[in-house]
Amino acid sequence: MREGARSGLEVVLVDIWEGTEPRPEVERFCEMWGIKGPILLDPAGELATTLGVRGVPTNVVVDSDGTIRAFGAARLDELEQAIDDLYGRA
Amino acid sequence: MAATGEREDPAFPVGAACRIDSRSPWRQVAEIPVGLDPEGIAVDVARRRAFVACSRSDFVSVVDLDKHEVVAEIQTGAEPIDIGLDVQTGRVFTADAHSDQVTVIDSATLEVETALPVGGYPSGLTHVPEFRRLYVGNSLGSTMSVIDLDTLETVATVDAEPGAGAIGVDPTRGLVICVNFVAASANFYDAGSFEEVGRLELGTGTCAIGIVPERGEAFIVNSIAGTVSLVDLDAIEVVDETRTGQAPVGLTVAPAHDRIYVTNRGAGTLSVLGVADRQEWSQIPVGNGPGGVVVDPYDGRIFVANAGSQTVSIVEDLLAAKPPAQVVEEASPWLGNKLPSFALEDYRTGERRTNRDWAEKKYILNFFASW
Repeated sequence: MREGARSGLEVVLVDIWEGTEPRPEVERFCEMWGIKGPILLDPAGELATTLGVRGVPTNVVVDSDGTIRAFGAARLDELEQAIDDLYGRA
Repeated sequence: MAATGEREDPAFPVGAACRIDSRSPWRQVAEIPVGLDPEGIAVDVARRRAFVACSRSDFVSVVDLDKHEVVAEIQTGAEPIDIGLDVQTGRVFTADAHSDQVTVIDSATLEVETALPVGGYPSGLTHVPEFRRLYVGNSLGSTMSVIDLDTLETVATVDAEPGAGAIGVDPTRGLVICVNFVAASANFYDAGSFEEVGRLELGTGTCAIGIVPERGEAFIVNSIAGTVSLVDLDAIEVVDETRTGQAPVGLTVAPAHDRIYVTNRGAGTLSVLGVADRQEWSQIPVGNGPGGVVVDPYDGRIFVANAGSQTVSIVEDLLAAKPPAQVVEEASPWLGNKLPSFALEDYRTGERRTNRDWAEKKYILNFFASW
C-alpha cells in the first residue's frame, strides 16, 4: 500500500468477511495501523465474490479506463511490478 | 496416500470440478461452518473430534469428525487464537489473546477446568508430550511462557521479541524456537535451561513453524514476504527460501515428513511443499482466508481453518510423491477486463461510493479484513 501511495495511485480499501458488524472492527484496525484514506464496506463480500477474491490481502489494480491490470499482488515486489506495468515503466 | 503420480485411486474419484490440474489430485471431504474467525485446530483422534478456536466468537467449536458437524461450543477467554490437545491428560489448551491467559478444557467433559495467566496477547502455543511442557508465545509481552502440562504451573517466562507467537520444538536437539511476527526473527533456546543459544533474522511477518527433526530442519513461514524459510537446526542458519501462494500464514508437517502444508491466506489455498526438494508440489483450494492447519494422524486428512468463510475445510492430499510438473497458478479471468460496477458504503462518510467516483483514475482496490 505504501508503494501505491508513493506512486500517486489512490488506494481504496474494501473491508470484507468480518462476520459481524464491521464498523467497530474497521475502527480498531485503522487506529492500530494508522490507516487514512477511503474505506468501503462490503460486509457480505458481494464485490469480492463477483471478482473471485478468495483471500486477504488481495490487490486489484485498475487502469484509468476501468480495466483490471493486476489481481492478487499481495507481495510487495508483485505490487511494485504491477504499478510499474500500469505506468508503462520498464 | 491414495494415488501414485498422475494415476487416480478409484476409491477417491477426482472430478474436474475439484482439482487444479491433472498432476495435483486432491479431494474435498467437507466444509463445516464453525464460529467467527476460526484460527487454531486440534484433533482428538480417540474421540473423533476436532477443537476449533474461534477467535471472534470467544469459544471453541467442537466438531464431530464422523458427522462433520459442530456438537458443542465451549466458552473461553477473549480471542482464542491457537489451540492444542495433550493426549496424556486429555486437556485442551487455548491461547486467549485478549485475556492474556490460557484456557484449560477437559476434552472428555468439554468443560473448562481452569485458566492460566500468561504474558500479554498470547497468540501461539505448542505442547511437547516428551518434555511435559506447554510453550506459549506472548506477542505484546515479547515473552514465552513455559507451563508444566501436569501441574499447570508456569515454570519459566523467557524473554523473546515483539510479536512472539508460534513455537516449534525439536526434541532430539533439545531446542525450543520462538517465532516473532513483528520483529521478523526467531529465538532459539536450550529446552532444559531456556538459555538463548541462537537467533535468526527472517522474512517479514514470521508466523508459523514446523520441524523435521531427522533432517535437522525447520520450516518457517514469512507471511508478508510470502515465503517459507528453511533453517538448518545444527548451524542455526537460513539455507533456503521458497515462495508459496499469496500471504502464507499457517504450516504443519505431514505425518510422513516428506511434505509440509502451508495455508495461503491471500489465495484461499493450501500449498503442498516437498521437504527434500523445497518445491511447491500442488495447491489445494480451501475456504476463504485460510489460517490454521493440522493433519489428522488417524487418516491423514488435512484440516484448515478458514477465517473468511468461518468454516473448517477437510481435504485429502492424494499425491503420492512430487508430481512430474510444477503447478502454475491460474491468473484471474478478470485480468484485462473491466471492473464490474459496484456501489458500497463509505466507512467514513456513510455515503454510497461507486466506480464513477474513480472514473478516469488509476487506483488500487485493496481487499482486507481486520482479523
